[in-house]
Amino acid sequence: MDGGRELLTGGVLMVGGVAMFVTALGFPVIPAMAYGPGLFPKIVAVGLFLSGAGIATEGIVGRGAALKERLEVLPILLLAALIVAFILALPWLGFHIAGTLVLIGAILIFRGSWLTAIVFAPIATVLVHMLFYNVLRVPLPWGLLLPIAW
Amino acid sequence: MDIAALLAAVFDPQILLTILIATLYGSFVGAMPGLTATMAVALLVPFTYFMDPVQAVAAIVATTTTAIFAGDISGALLRMPGTPASAAYVEDSYALARGGEARTTLFVSLFSACIGGVVGVLILATATPLLAAIASNFSSDEAFWLATLGLSCAVLVGGPSVPRNFASLFIGLAIATVGIDVAVGHPRFTFGLQDLYGGISFIPAMIGLFAISELLREAGTRPDLSLGKLVIEPLGTAIRNATRRMRANWRGIGRSSVGGTLIGALPGAGADIAAWIAYAVARRVSKTPEKFGTGHYEGIVNAGAANNAGVAGAWTPALVFGIPGDSVTAIAIGVMLMKGLTPGPNIFESDGLLIQTLFGAFLLANIVMLFTGGLAVAVASWILRVPRAILMPSVLLLSMVGAFAIDGSVTSLWITLVLGVLGFAMVRADIPIAPAVLGVVLGEVVEDNFMVSMMKAQGDLTGFFSRTPAAVLGTITLIVWAALLWRSGRELVRAFRTDDTARNANP
Repeated sequence: MDGGRELLTGGVLMVGGVAMFVTALGFPVIPAMAYGPGLFPKIVAVGLFLSGAGIATEGIVGRGAALKERLEVLPILLLAALIVAFILALPWLGFHIAGTLVLIGAILIFRGSWLTAIVFAPIATVLVHMLFYNVLRVPLPWGLLLPIAW
Repeated sequence: MDIAALLAAVFDPQILLTILIATLYGSFVGAMPGLTATMAVALLVPFTYFMDPVQAVAAIVATTTTAIFAGDISGALLRMPGTPASAAYVEDSYALARGGEARTTLFVSLFSACIGGVVGVLILATATPLLAAIASNFSSDEAFWLATLGLSCAVLVGGPSVPRNFASLFIGLAIATVGIDVAVGHPRFTFGLQDLYGGISFIPAMIGLFAISELLREAGTRPDLSLGKLVIEPLGTAIRNATRRMRANWRGIGRSSVGGTLIGALPGAGADIAAWIAYAVARRVSKTPEKFGTGHYEGIVNAGAANNAGVAGAWTPALVFGIPGDSVTAIAIGVMLMKGLTPGPNIFESDGLLIQTLFGAFLLANIVMLFTGGLAVAVASWILRVPRAILMPSVLLLSMVGAFAIDGSVTSLWITLVLGVLGFAMVRADIPIAPAVLGVVLGEVVEDNFMVSMMKAQGDLTGFFSRTPAAVLGTITLIVWAALLWRSGRELVRAFRTDDTARNANP
């Protein structure tokens, strides 16, 4: 019986609970008040710890549920990295360039062709621009394209 | 209530247009495998930010109603439920579609959804003012118990594993503690970031939990999306046959519509649980239980009515107590709070017309769905041909821009990503997301009322029971806790036993 996933999940939650509790101990205690800002986080931290312990116990006594589906790891990591790159690049490149690039990257990650990527990405970016900038009046950063902003 | 004012509010051209667009949007997103009804609402939220309150809520209800129905489209044609609420009867609808009755099946789904939805709204509109009258003089003690009861209920019905449901809830509450604390204004868990002082912003959090997490999962899959050879019957024949099937099952429709509404009203139990229970009950009372799962209309009718009834049912605790019935109403409560509306018993007094308009819009959405949903059925095989490689990247860009649009800060994008990864990890660890969303939405309410009541009671916990309504609610909460303890104890005992049997069988 494989309970490795339960042990990992439970362990992460227990560590998280301990970390949260320790941090909450550092919150100020107001002399006139019996209950400070740390009380509720401490309760939540105990809850995290106990539920983590419960999940780990399930793993130990062999209630480890089988994983429902196998996923390919590489495209998931690529997609996460792509989002990180988009966030970092957005203020600097501006929405239009960063948006087009993130779409090209995502289309390739979802196994679209280069042709689809090159044709679809700029069109979709302009459509999203029109939706947010012209209809909803949300300012999107222009970045490098600021000189030609309209 | 002034009927003329109400009709004018519901049939306002802007509201009508919103409902029309939202039902089309809901049909499309619901029908796409991998895009759920909750994701449809999460992606809609940035747009509701720019709408007036009635319009925003109408858009949310119309989108959910149709998306829950439209999940049946990919279920029937691809055997992939478009939303989890369609999973209960996917075997039946797929088998029927393969047998040449794709459109009949989908029209049966559509008609059941419409009836279930209408019954749900009627119950909602009748029950909520009565409940609100009872709840109108609640103090911080009752508010604390109600929120706690809502959260405990979410843990009880959230999923098959009690510790996992608890874990989900506490993850949500932990997210809610980020930011300046309510009592003395001390920043908590902000990692020195000024942008986090106001707490984790709600819209990026929902987009992360429901859209980014799904996109990450989808990136790792290679689903077979070919429709294969499919004989599709003419529209007229399908509608006639569907009507005949509906008449044959009217008793089940009634039972499942009412039952679905009640289940949907339980905090944490949404449309999907309503569908599973209605399906199981229908099979138990059926004369031909052995046909369930092999292409039988009875299950589709029952579960199809129940999941849309559940959509309306979930609004009952949301409107009266401010406790969401499911993830969608959790998001909706967040939207209402952003609009300066605090759901709770007083909203029926302070914004009576708004609530009535909401019910009207809900009813209208269910009727408009007959046409837009019918259209979606007619063009279903085209909708499903939209390539994933275009769809998923578009969702990604809309998610990121939507999260950014609210306050124009890059921090929102980081929140979206971090919560997206968290949601993905939770799904992989089989931890349900709904209790966490309830925790995020209710965390502050629970803490505020807990602190106020604690200070009033000077730490004496019996103070939480000193008022009669509080004592009643407190006792119900304790009963739910006892049920939880009993359930987890039983699960553990059973686990030990099965483990022993397994060991004895294979030494």
